[in-house]
Amino acid sequence: MVKIKKTELSGLINYLSEKYQVFAPVKDGKKTSFQKIKSADEIIDSIPNTNLSPKSIFFPQAEVLFKYDENGIKVPKKDEKPFAVWGMRNCDAKSVLMLNKVFGNAHQIPDNKMYNDPYWKQKYDSSLIFGLACNAPLSTCFCNWFDGGPFDEKGSDVFVIETDDHFIMNGISEKGKKFLKEYKKDDKSDIDKEKIESLKQKAESYLSEKVDISNIYDKLNKIWDEPIWEEISSKCINCGACTFVCSTCHCFDVSDEGKSGKGQRIRLWDSCMFPIFTNEASGHNPRGVSVQRVKQRVMHKYNYFMDNYNEHLCTGCGRCVLVCPVNLDIREILKKIIKV
Amino acid sequence: MCNCENTYIPIPMKVERILNENPDRSLRTYDLSFVNEEDKNNFKYLPGQFCEFSILGKGESPFGIASSPTEKDILKFTVNRTGSVTNDIHHLQVGDTVGIRGPMGNWYPVEKFKGGDVVIIGGGFAFTTLRSMLIYMLENRADYGKITVIYGARTPDLFIYKDELKEWDKRDDLILHLTIDRPMKGWGGLCGFVPTITKELALDPTSWVVVCGPPIMIKFTLPVLIESGFPDNKIYTSLERRMKCGIGKCGRCGIGSKYICVDGPVFSYEELKKIPEAF
Ligand SMILES: Cc1cc2nc3c(=O)[nH]c(=O)nc-3n(C[C@H](O)[C@H](O)[C@H](O)COP(=O)(O)OP(=O)(O)OC[C@H]3O[C@@H](n4cnc5c(N)ncnc54)[C@H](O)[C@@H]3O)c2cc1C
Ligand code: SF4
Ligand code: SF4
Ligand code: FES
Repeated sequence: MVKIKKTELSGLINYLSEKYQVFAPVKDGKKTSFQKIKSADEIIDSIPNTNLSPKSIFFPQAEVLFKYDENGIKVPKKDEKPFAVWGMRNCDAKSVLMLNKVFGNAHQIPDNKMYNDPYWKQKYDSSLIFGLACNAPLSTCFCNWFDGGPFDEKGSDVFVIETDDHFIMNGISEKGKKFLKEYKKDDKSDIDKEKIESLKQKAESYLSEKVDISNIYDKLNKIWDEPIWEEISSKCINCGACTFVCSTCHCFDVSDEGKSGKGQRIRLWDSCMFPIFTNEASGHNPRGVSVQRVKQRVMHKYNYFMDNYNEHLCTGCGRCVLVCPVNLDIREILKKIIKV
Repeated sequence: MCNCENTYIPIPMKVERILNENPDRSLRTYDLSFVNEEDKNNFKYLPGQFCEFSILGKGESPFGIASSPTEKDILKFTVNRTGSVTNDIHHLQVGDTVGIRGPMGNWYPVEKFKGGDVVIIGGGFAFTTLRSMLIYMLENRADYGKITVIYGARTPDLFIYKDELKEWDKRDDLILHLTIDRPMKGWGGLCGFVPTITKELALDPTSWVVVCGPPIMIKFTLPVLIESGFPDNKIYTSLERRMKCGIGKCGRCGIGSKYICVDGPVFSYEELKKIPEAF
């Protein structure tokens, strides 16, 4: 473990910036999000969680796949420096691991390079993620439902615990350990284990009681035709905000900008909440009505992903709960389903 | 495949030949050749797979590969003009360069079919990958038993590959049933919807069967096959959904926990039964 004074953060960011492009939570207009920073002054507290999830670091909302003109197709140049991310909360670090299962590989044909997403891999594989223990979860947080917790280290290369005046950093992955070793001499003597434990307990006490959703997968297998879906989805206005802010939603659209002679092909976040998502040229739409789309969102997160990757595609970050204009709360949906 | 390092980059192809399949010119078949020798050598596919056809500035659309891997040097696609990308494809001229990505998805299990009888049931312009499979089996004729084809279209004009249908009709190692929806002057083949004809033909349920056509045709043909005694694991079909990436990332083509672009488009009825959204 390495302990630094909070005032040393600026030095750490400068040190990182020599080898990395550094991302951190910043104020971004009225919202908060993860952006590239030049100095530690730009960093804001990432708790409460940023409005927009850090998935945009590795999977930007709009990303150029290639440009074309009369000379042919050109893929954008690789970023010369790898990415380092400071202050990614435990739930978000976990969400990046989930997305890596989709983009970094595919369950179907794991060894076939064709199924990798090169744009994701190029950014993620070389990245260094500083996860941040969450000292004060919000009332919308429910990471504890998914075997996560405010001090969960999964997905972090270096896990950081914030005390009153210090950051205590622990190397988790090989990459993270190597970085810390090079950065500063390990000094265990100075670490107040009890202090960490009490921070952890305090953080956990903010969370409402864990709801056991272990039967949700089986339940969802059985209720496809039940009227409960009408009840669950009746409020939803299909605005897509929930999927937009979600740290684990990965659907995208591909579209061309420009004329046939010159332009670019880009991909953009998309949402299964929109009817056009599945609308076919013939006019046929397999998910033409709202209830089918809400069902898709719930099924993908708590059933289909389990089939493919053996976990739920949700970290309990609560962003969708915070953003929904009609207060449709995914936790209430889950509670209803486990009781059917 | 492939453009292994980056699957999103289309490989360049040259339009060699364009054929109008019907008088109203809504269906056209394109023969494409590889611009680069290397791409040609890397492109290995089997009947049933598809490609994303790319028109820079317009976008991409998925199409089943209508050629058979036994037809060297070219890839064939038959395109129904229905929207923005397909409209631009219809404006292509011989000699133009286009892009394709693929081959994508799985294929009809032609290896498994070896030694068995095979029934092919198709409707409308969805005969594309069925053509691929049929040519493939005819090229490897000794590997397969009896081959029966049932092919339906609304009117005689709407059949695709009309010249080849004539050739196939003459062969004695292949039984071809063509049917149109309603009787018409000058039509010498069968009349009636594909499911009805399938029932009347009393097919041998020990055969393998592949059904591909408009969703409504598939929906009504499957029960006929099941009633006739075909086991769920010997019935295959090919599904369509909107697609974007073609490699299981963009989420667009999901049905249940499967993605049609990588887990399909070919599924056995045994698999489909388990997917609530499939029909
Ligand atoms: C595996 C597969 C094989 C196919 N094979 C053929 C074929 O051999 N011949 C043929 O004519 N058509 C085929 N289709 C359907 C064809 O892809 C659509 O008709 C075509 O994408 C319509 O595009 P558009 O831009 O002209 O229409 P628009 O309505 O303008 O559509 C815009 C976009 O919607 C998507 N889209 C719309 N309808 C469909 C659809 N039914 N399926 C998939 N994507 C759709 C495409 O991404 C397209 O770029 C196939 C579809 C799939 C999934
Ligand atoms: S579904 Fe909601 S709680 Fe779960 S990861 Fe997405 S935004 Fe967070
Ligand atoms: S934010 Fe709420 S209203 Fe909007 S799509 Fe999501 S659940 Fe529906
Ligand atoms: S087309 Fe993108 S997941 Fe199938």
